[in-house]
Amino acid sequence: MLTFDSLSRRQFLGLLGSAAAVAGLGLAGCGSTSEEAPAADSGAASLTGSIVCSGATSFQPLVEAAANKFMDANPDVSISITGGGSGQGLSDIKDGTAQIGRSDVFAETKLEAADVEKLVDNQVAIVGMGPIVNSGVDVDDLTVDQLKGIFTGAITDWGEVGGTAGTIQVINRKAGSGTRATFEDAVLAGETVPDSFRPVAEEDSSGTVVAKVSQTQGAISYLAFSYYDESKFKALSVDGVAPTAANVESGDFKIWSYEHMYTSVDADDATKAFIEYMLSDEVQGSLVEDEGFIPLTGMEVQKDAEGKVSKK
Amino acid sequence: MARRMMPKRRLEKVGLGITGACVCVVALVVAALIVMVAQQGLTTFTSDGVDPVSFLTGQNWIPSEGRFGAAPLIVGSFSVTLLSTLIALPIALGSAIFVVEVRPAFGRKVFQPLVELLVGIPSVVYGLIGLTVVNAAMRAIFGDAAGTGAGILSGAIVLAVMILPTVTTLVIDALAAVPDSYRDGSYALGCTRWQTIWHVVLRSAAPSIMTAVILGMTRAFGETLAVQMVIGGVERSMPNGLLDPAATLTTALTSGLSNATTGSVEYHALWSLGLLLMGMSLLFILIIHLIGRRGTKSHG
Repeated sequence: MLTFDSLSRRQFLGLLGSAAAVAGLGLAGCGSTSEEAPAADSGAASLTGSIVCSGATSFQPLVEAAANKFMDANPDVSISITGGGSGQGLSDIKDGTAQIGRSDVFAETKLEAADVEKLVDNQVAIVGMGPIVNSGVDVDDLTVDQLKGIFTGAITDWGEVGGTAGTIQVINRKAGSGTRATFEDAVLAGETVPDSFRPVAEEDSSGTVVAKVSQTQGAISYLAFSYYDESKFKALSVDGVAPTAANVESGDFKIWSYEHMYTSVDADDATKAFIEYMLSDEVQGSLVEDEGFIPLTGMEVQKDAEGKVSKK
Repeated sequence: MARRMMPKRRLEKVGLGITGACVCVVALVVAALIVMVAQQGLTTFTSDGVDPVSFLTGQNWIPSEGRFGAAPLIVGSFSVTLLSTLIALPIALGSAIFVVEVRPAFGRKVFQPLVELLVGIPSVVYGLIGLTVVNAAMRAIFGDAAGTGAGILSGAIVLAVMILPTVTTLVIDALAAVPDSYRDGSYALGCTRWQTIWHVVLRSAAPSIMTAVILGMTRAFGETLAVQMVIGGVERSMPNGLLDPAATLTTALTSGLSNATTGSVEYHALWSLGLLLMGMSLLFILIIHLIGRRGTKSHG
């Protein structure tokens, strides 16, 4: 092995290292050309402070987009947005480690009543959700009862719900996820899932659900409208109602929930101003829809912490 | 102009002080960690009223219903760990024998650095490859029975690749540490190379190889991210086979924490899983020490 003998270990590693460095520099060069956004307007108000906003990842992009605009207008305010899930958001706002806690679910479902009293529930957007299936599944519409059967293991074959025979592969979100809670509230209506029922996967994130459903034959799961992508999977109607923002607003499509930004009752001015901005026409009018959510303004129905829906 | 040296006794004391302080810091960190995890983890049993026995043997982990049976997670953890070790060990042994006994120059200069580079690849990359390649392969091979392709077998395969560099490197070191006089003696008795490797080299390196295996298992047991991406994450009931989706202690811990609020029973139960994990790694370390002691004894 002459070639190996003439090449010392250090030289070999050096060679690999310099190759990696060249590749890395090339990539960095491409990525670092972002432009500075121009400031929105000269600071009329003199808000200062720093806001920590943690919690649900589902509407993190929406809050990030809004926060960037808000910080442009108020250069002395810094908003740091971290993820961690609804539980994390509610924990952080309860423990006082964050000024805003994002959550997909009502705080009542996860916190003690005494803790909830210290919080203000700011609902900033609506998220609609619906069942999705692998593109190969030839079913377009399911009733709530059929969905209940599928997600409790009573119905296991597509043949039983009007499709071509084939195993139904149920992909759930993790227990405790806001999306799952919303879906199960609407579909299972209080019925508990039997121990014998095993889904083929329980995923941590909507992104993985998209990947798994598009790759797995006969798969069914559920997603927020903001993740809908007809090129990767098929979205189903429920009880004949199409999963659209208009149908959620009119109250015909039942699977939806609020996106909450919980603040403490004695929040500081900067935090209050940011929440106000989230509810302003500037955000509700365009940003919310751009990110795939439904603005509060058009809703004809409302939901309380127990899940009861009523006309507004 | 020689500077006046500190009196020797004081110098000794300063040295003792600095090194002693370092030891104290490390000991304090370890103790604080153990106390903290134990304190949070035991709350489940002391004040939340979860029965420790049913915690360990319960077959359903369904936090939303207040059921905390960790058995499916324990089974998940042990099955992926053992299976991945079973896959990785023969490959590690084979390549180590090749490197040490057959082609030492190639081994030292090319193979070993390459294997060491594997260690530096982040878990998420392994997970991503597992998600796209291993899961797809499972679906292609087993069809509908594999579901999404995620399951214990997928997890074990990905873990096997991840622990391979650790185990290989340690086995190479173990074999290389066998004195040449053993080999010379064996050849002098007329043994072939294979007989020498099998009966002499592997035999005398056995304790170090065991250490390598257990270190690999420790890594597999504690690995989270990559496993989480490929194992399917079903923690509500016992897996029935190798193709079944499952969850491990670590994956249940990380994915559960984002949904649990501080102070809730679920939160404490997750800490109890952490306590269980800590106990297991302490056990692994204890085993390594025991093997090490036996090894030194038998070699005098």
